[in-house]
Amino acid sequence: MIPVIFKRFLNETGDITRFAGRFFKEAFKPRYEFAELLRQCYFIGYKSLPLVAITAFIMGLVITIQSRPTLVEFGAEAWLPKMVSVSLVREIAPVITALICAGKIGSGIGAELGSMKVTEQIDAMEVSGTNPFKYLVATRIMAATLTIPILVVLADAVSLYGGYLGVNIRGVVSWDLYWNQVFDTLAFSDVIPSIIKTFFFGFAIGTIGCYKGYNSNKGTEGVGRSANSAVVISSLLVFILDLLAVQIIDLLSLT
Amino acid sequence: MIAKTEISESDKQTANETVIQLRNVSKSFGSNNVLKSFTFDLHKGDTVVVLGKSGSGKSVLIKCIIGLIKPDSGTINVLGKNIPELNNEELDMIRAKVGFLFQSNALYDSMTVRENLEFPLRRHKAKMSKSQIDELVVEALTNVGLAHTIDMRTSELSGGMKKRIALARTLILKPEIILYDEPTTGLDPITGKEISKLMRELAKKYNTSSIVISHDLNCVKIVADSIVMLIDGKCYAQDIYENLERSSDKKIQEFFI
Repeated sequence: MIPVIFKRFLNETGDITRFAGRFFKEAFKPRYEFAELLRQCYFIGYKSLPLVAITAFIMGLVITIQSRPTLVEFGAEAWLPKMVSVSLVREIAPVITALICAGKIGSGIGAELGSMKVTEQIDAMEVSGTNPFKYLVATRIMAATLTIPILVVLADAVSLYGGYLGVNIRGVVSWDLYWNQVFDTLAFSDVIPSIIKTFFFGFAIGTIGCYKGYNSNKGTEGVGRSANSAVVISSLLVFILDLLAVQIIDLLSLT
Repeated sequence: MIAKTEISESDKQTANETVIQLRNVSKSFGSNNVLKSFTFDLHKGDTVVVLGKSGSGKSVLIKCIIGLIKPDSGTINVLGKNIPELNNEELDMIRAKVGFLFQSNALYDSMTVRENLEFPLRRHKAKMSKSQIDELVVEALTNVGLAHTIDMRTSELSGGMKKRIALARTLILKPEIILYDEPTTGLDPITGKEISKLMRELAKKYNTSSIVISHDLNCVKIVADSIVMLIDGKCYAQDIYENLERSSDKKIQEFFI
């Protein structure tokens, strides 16, 4: 006898997989919604820039300040830029940016599509001769998949700048020396896999947000629930995907 | 999968005069049988009001007609095409000729009034020039007396204005048939009456055939050529307002008290 909660989990997983499958089936067939895709890239990517930049800056600063005492204890203070750059670029910037996006974008998409569903706007779109899945869902998933990696590259840069300021709070490291150490440490094998995994983060965030919103019901209560569960599930998926990515990178000996 | 139902010769002849022909349409949600062998005709130029209790399947009925919900069985012949058998492209072609006014208006929040009205035009009539689209948008807004709201956002409009804009959007493609889902719900009696009169005027002006779902007897009186009583999932009675109002049948009387 399968417990009800496990059955529900399997059903939901199946539905999300089918929903993602429908995205691949419909997104690459004409008619292409380029204008709506660009609009979504603007909302999802450009409008998230300030939040991502501020968070990344604080992250870089805090990680550097927190790491210093341990390195000082081992007499390895000079390694601070190296250590901070690897941890920021490989792990912290991609994951934290994805989590911020899961909160901001996932809930936004879930609430927007959810309220469109309960106010019959999605039906109205269908009656107007528009495939709402292509127009609303495919464009949002694609925009999230394309813009989150760009946000992560920006977060990498800003957090490293935060690290530079962090290093200079207690010590003195010149601008040139700091960046030389950072780029000497970082290899393509650090940067590329960490960016590749963010495409999957973006896809997961877009898909879950759209799935929850598109299948929203029970009026305004349902809209709130859709937004909430979109954040919870996509945040959890970011961690699961990150774990998988680390294992794959490790297996392929890319580190 | 809905089995293809043969349309009889007599039905085909009738279909020449009718714009919508429903035969034995049934729809269930779980154990709830909403429509049970519902049969009904809408003739060209007529406005038929469907009257029924809440949850009796009125909205399901018109959503089946426009292809938003698939019936479990039966044929829904709209302008000569059986809706449940059409693919998406064929459905879009029919939908360009059938307007639908949603109960909640369903105006797109993220768009202005102009963009809301342009949306169906850009979708159904992609080859139309910008000036032609502008002309039609202004004409539709003038018809509902709201030309000045063209660049307003829908969130800035009152309930009555939203209903008029939704009506303008429904009419912009000059549909042959219009389906109204509770057009006066949530409006005060005066605005409700205005909307009802507007519906009547526009139906005459564009010679459209309409199905109106409504509980509002004031609206029903103004717009209806005839009334269909949807009771227990079936077309219980169809007649003009005055005859149904005088009916001795208790099930019918309930609606006119």
